Amino acid sequence: MQDILRKVTQAFGVSGNEEEIRKVITSEIEKYVDEIKIDAMGNLIAVKKGKSSAKSGGAFPGRKIMLAAHMDEIGVIATFIDEKGFIRFSNLGGVSAFNSLAQRVRFKNGTIGCINAEEQLEDYKNLKLEKMYIDIGCKSREEAEKLVRIGDAANFTGDFYVNGDRMISKAMDDRSGCAVLIEVIKAQPKTDNEVYYVFTTQEEVGLRGAKTAAFGIMPDCAIAVDVTFSGDTPQCRSREVKLGAGPAIKVKDSAYIAHPQIRRELEELAGSNNIPYTLELLDRGGSDPGAIQAAGAGVPCGGVSIPCRYTHSPAEMVSMEDLKNCVKLVELFIKK
Amino acid sequence: MGREDLYMNIIEKLKYLSETVAVAGFEKDAAEKVADLFKGYSAHVEVDRFFNVRCLKKGTDEKAKKLMITAHLDEIGFLVRSIDDKGFIGIVNVGGIDSKILLAQEVVIHGKQNITGIIGATPPHLLKAEDAGKALKISDLYVDTGYGGEELKKLVSVGDTVSFKSKVSVMNDSKASGKAFDNRASVVCLLEILEILKDFNHENDIIFVASTQEETSMVGVKTASYALLPDAAIVIDTCHGDIPDLSKDCSSTPGKGPEISIGPNLHPGMVNKMFELGKEYSIPCQKMVEAGDTGTEAWATQVSRTGIPTALLSVPVRYMHTAVETVSIEDIKYTARLAAEFAKISSIQLEKLA
Repeated sequence: MQDILRKVTQAFGVSGNEEEIRKVITSEIEKYVDEIKIDAMGNLIAVKKGKSSAKSGGAFPGRKIMLAAHMDEIGVIATFIDEKGFIRFSNLGGVSAFNSLAQRVRFKNGTIGCINAEEQLEDYKNLKLEKMYIDIGCKSREEAEKLVRIGDAANFTGDFYVNGDRMISKAMDDRSGCAVLIEVIKAQPKTDNEVYYVFTTQEEVGLRGAKTAAFGIMPDCAIAVDVTFSGDTPQCRSREVKLGAGPAIKVKDSAYIAHPQIRRELEELAGSNNIPYTLELLDRGGSDPGAIQAAGAGVPCGGVSIPCRYTHSPAEMVSMEDLKNCVKLVELFIKK
Repeated sequence: MGREDLYMNIIEKLKYLSETVAVAGFEKDAAEKVADLFKGYSAHVEVDRFFNVRCLKKGTDEKAKKLMITAHLDEIGFLVRSIDDKGFIGIVNVGGIDSKILLAQEVVIHGKQNITGIIGATPPHLLKAEDAGKALKISDLYVDTGYGGEELKKLVSVGDTVSFKSKVSVMNDSKASGKAFDNRASVVCLLEILEILKDFNHENDIIFVASTQEETSMVGVKTASYALLPDAAIVIDTCHGDIPDLSKDCSSTPGKGPEISIGPNLHPGMVNKMFELGKEYSIPCQKMVEAGDTGTEAWATQVSRTGIPTALLSVPVRYMHTAVETVSIEDIKYTARLAAEFAKISSIQLEKLA
């Protein structure tokens, strides 16, 4: 699982530019699923047909379950290149100016740039992205435009490291969720239910991929695997969620309230199978079910969240033990 | 349920519904109570998987049009965020709540049993001069239940709902004050409309929906309007009653009838008909101009499927989103009468309007 996590976290896939990460995931899973579709929003939809659907001649007793993990990552987009070759940029998703300062970014074609701020800034407290720029080491606009055009997206660079149970990388949000789904697919859980593994696009810019994917599938219920803030760093807000304390079962985030029945099912499954878990109440930030639940006549949704430190920075940290427990819990859910 | 319960007068209905708890996302119990009340008027009552309560009152016309009338039944509130070893409970708000109104409030925690708690405040003697008069963030407030941590953790867990503890007070015989009048006042309207239409042969099918999660994502009305596919919709919600520090542009006077909203969110044909009916039947009403999003379920309903012509009636409520929301009983009557007159129009008339 560590190798898969390394591959998917390091791939390029800023919101709206998910081609590379989609290819990486496709090559990991295509052997194990019945069908792979890519919809108009670029969502990667892998279908594992219901077990008894063929035998019973279409009569299909199982549920239609959608599992979602978003494959896009936050990043920046070039908006203007000045005559000296400095690139002004805007954010794709929730990019903090402080986290961006003195970071490196990588454009899709591999061009590396560093981000810095105008030197005469008086008030660093109010640092804004519009006072910052990307330097790709070019001397003029002409030279820079050979490498980067306005509209090109870049991700933050952040290498993959393992320290015991803990792993650090960029884009753990939400490639760690993608890795969980890939592991579930590979484990080939036996179930009557028809399972739609959806690697969604554009979550970071407003849950856009999940919205159309859910409408296209119209599942009976859906679970999203995404990261959530942990409450175990110095002087942070008090939260139950902690690294290594197991999956966080979603109660609410700013986009949706988990359907009570799904939340109860997840809690019962974790409880009866000795999977440690905490309950998650996220007051800042939303996730895909915010869009999925309102598809058509409505989809009951829940979430299995991965505790993650330093979310939306180039060095996000998760626990391998938590990921393994997420895989177990998701498997149990789709077997029900 | 006894027959007299069905004939509860408006204040009693308001008391009963206001003191029922339905924090957005956790409306199951309240939905069942509302469904029981609807069952006094129709055999076609169901609670859907998002706990929307739907009640169909069949029309007489075979090719009847479908008119949906919605009022959300959820309320603002809190969820338990953390429980510390001494028994102090951290909370997070569900829906818009100003932390200024929370200090020294009584709340109820809905754990394994209902537990009364208070939101504590630092005594003024110990407040630093620079902190006096300053508001606190909700994340800095704690609920004290009198229980110690160990005992409390057996009764309450993270994710349990917390609601305001507030009994309805009747004021000057004509007004009432309490929690969750946004939007139980409008759910009472739904019951009043059913009462008015009880013996009336209307042509259109009228579908009453007490919807859920309006205070958060509007998922209730989004999914209900998709599933029911009505030809037209009336949304009933609350609006701001005038108080000294509010301008006329965003508030209406309690006692002078429902606000009828005008703007791109609302269908002009339906809006004009509302004003006409108000005049014809001498039902007082007030005008409100909404330049864009009305902040109500009308916004989500209008764009469901291929679009649903929608009108918005609002009951003026003072001190919205507090435990002392105040409403004039007359306004509930007027709102229900106006919506009921609209529900009585013929299918052909409705088709022409919408």
